[in-house]
Amino acid sequence: MADFETQIRESQEQVAAAQAKIADITGRIETARAKIDQGEPAIDIENATLEDVHKHTDLMNANIAELIMGLDDVTAGFSKDFDEMRSKTGMESVIGFFSSAKSESMRQERLRGASIDDKLQDLIGKSDVIVKLLQGQLDVLTTQRTRVEGNLTGTLEEREATVSALEAVRAEVAAMDPKIIELENKISVEQDAAARTKLETELAALNTRFNALVQDEQVKLAKSQTLERYIEKGKTWVDSLQNQAATQMVLINKLQTDTKQRVVLYDALTASLKTAQQQDVAHRINEIGVKTDQEAQSAMAGIGAATNQRMADMLEAHEDHMVFARQILEQKAKADERFARRFAKIVEKHDKNEYGA
Amino acid sequence: MVTTPLADDHADLTDTLVVRRYFAKMDRIMGHLGRVTTEMEGQGQLSRLESRVLKGYVGRLSATLSALSLKYMMTGRVEGPVPGHPTFDRHESGFPIAQELMVMANDAVQAEAHLSGMASETELKDRMVREIVGGLSIPSKLQYALSQRLYYERLAELALPTVNGLFLARNDPDAQWISEDRGRRRYLLHWAVYDHQINLPVIYLMEVDDSGHDPLPRSNTRWPAVRAHLMAQSLSGLKLLTIATGFDADFADLHPKRLRRIHLGPMYSHSYTLQSGPISDVLANANAPAGEDWALVWTVEDLISDRVEEVKAGWFSTVERQIFTLDPFGGRGAETGATRTERMIILPERPFQVLAEMNPPGFGDVRKFVVGTGGQLISQR
Repeated sequence: MADFETQIRESQEQVAAAQAKIADITGRIETARAKIDQGEPAIDIENATLEDVHKHTDLMNANIAELIMGLDDVTAGFSKDFDEMRSKTGMESVIGFFSSAKSESMRQERLRGASIDDKLQDLIGKSDVIVKLLQGQLDVLTTQRTRVEGNLTGTLEEREATVSALEAVRAEVAAMDPKIIELENKISVEQDAAARTKLETELAALNTRFNALVQDEQVKLAKSQTLERYIEKGKTWVDSLQNQAATQMVLINKLQTDTKQRVVLYDALTASLKTAQQQDVAHRINEIGVKTDQEAQSAMAGIGAATNQRMADMLEAHEDHMVFARQILEQKAKADERFARRFAKIVEKHDKNEYGA
Repeated sequence: MVTTPLADDHADLTDTLVVRRYFAKMDRIMGHLGRVTTEMEGQGQLSRLESRVLKGYVGRLSATLSALSLKYMMTGRVEGPVPGHPTFDRHESGFPIAQELMVMANDAVQAEAHLSGMASETELKDRMVREIVGGLSIPSKLQYALSQRLYYERLAELALPTVNGLFLARNDPDAQWISEDRGRRRYLLHWAVYDHQINLPVIYLMEVDDSGHDPLPRSNTRWPAVRAHLMAQSLSGLKLLTIATGFDADFADLHPKRLRRIHLGPMYSHSYTLQSGPISDVLANANAPAGEDWALVWTVEDLISDRVEEVKAGWFSTVERQIFTLDPFGGRGAETGATRTERMIILPERPFQVLAEMNPPGFGDVRKFVVGTGGQLISQR
């Protein structure tokens, strides 16, 4: 089946391409992560690339689904075999025109030699190839998912840390405000130059600190936003990987179930075709020439069996008789007893003249 | 999806411990089968050659099952569809389904290719140690990889043409010379199949007289045809008589004298298989501990040629036709299509004790082989 082979090769290429793309995206996510660590907020996994991967995997899955359907071509080969077992070949029909017995015996001979075992093996082998293909893809998807997930967990923790640092900075900034105002008020009412200069120096220091904190807040905010976007992308990617893995599992499951059921079904059909047509013939053949004595034997056996049967019947009937007789005796005994009891009362009443008492 | 009720009695084993216990049980039973063969040889029911042939098949079956046990070593421990789980026939079989063997045959062909791409055993073990010590985690994935490596190694070893140690779904016929008498050679043809319908290993032994020109195993014209014919006829649904007469009719210079078919199984077990009838009660009442909860039935069908008749073939020639003995007085001969059928049951002490106590009808003429402690075999009528 050249067609199937080409299709397999095509699918293998597509799977390889899809795997490269998937690994590429995961790689990019990881690079982005590294860059964030270095303080370069660069995210270059755009939705476009994700879309691209999705499109490609869809194509690949469609192709593999087609491949699974393509197994039907293999199965179509079976139905041809089954038809051949049922019907006569051209040659047999021609011979059947002259001698139906010869034609039938030719067909029997052909049927005896027929076997679909190699085809079954072929079916199993092919479905195995597809399963391996799907499994390879599934493995890639799973490893990528674990990698991205691990990455994501780390990033989430980092974002949490960043956010709490941001909060701390903000709190500090908020706490500085009243101090600065207080200092400015002090400066505005201070008369002594020396004291004023000292206060101004203090204010300047405070302002520097304030500006530094504000800048820090901005940096932290930017980092938090970057991480947030990164997390969103990562989540989308994990989600997509999970969906793809689910598709693969469904395909594998369907394929395995189908193949299992088919093997059983085809095998059962062949066996029943062969057995039904051969058993009867064999028994007839064995009786060539032995018909007479076999008949005699079976007649004798029949007589023997009949005698035994009669004996058994008699014995069984005897048992029945015995049981019946005993039942009757028992019933009679009971009736006698009952009668005796009732009668005894009457006699007693009669003897004591207690009627109506 | 295609579904057929034909696979209803197939059951998946998904739990790790259940799978391992199943394969351990089968392994133990296979070990006893060899002893049963020796016992039968000692009692003169099998010739030395036949006993050797049978032991060969039993050994191959045992090797196959142990290879499967490696394949499914990590079932239930690794997620994903492909480590998979063994499927066995739980009704009137107790053996793995035939498809397991067919898949294994495919695996055996590709074993070398798989092995070349795998890490070696020491490397895998080294990585396991690293993962345990370094990652403080159980290296299930690596364990799975190692189980597969061992599986393929075993297959590669057994599938070598010099070893030929696997019991496959079809084991093509082999011929053993027995004797020669006035230009007629007698051979013992033996072959085995794993019946797809009932999921049981079935061994065939055929004694055949060869009146052909050249010896049968070296005949280029006849031997391949004979092999193909016999394989295609090895169905449990066919009676022995059907197989023998068909063979007799299709090969003019081969004369089947005796055909025997041995069903190795079914295996009954209270905790694994579903059964009805007395054997079910026996196993349930035995309440045997793990390892002793089984009974294996072994059926030998035997068809012997009674005499030979000359039958006309065409206008000028005649061929010999075998007339086989069927036992009309046995009351069952004509029905079974065999001269005689003998059933044997192999079971451990505890179920045997219950069997003897309950003494259910139908077991009187079944030969019983009781496996004692230490594995010695006691033959009981």
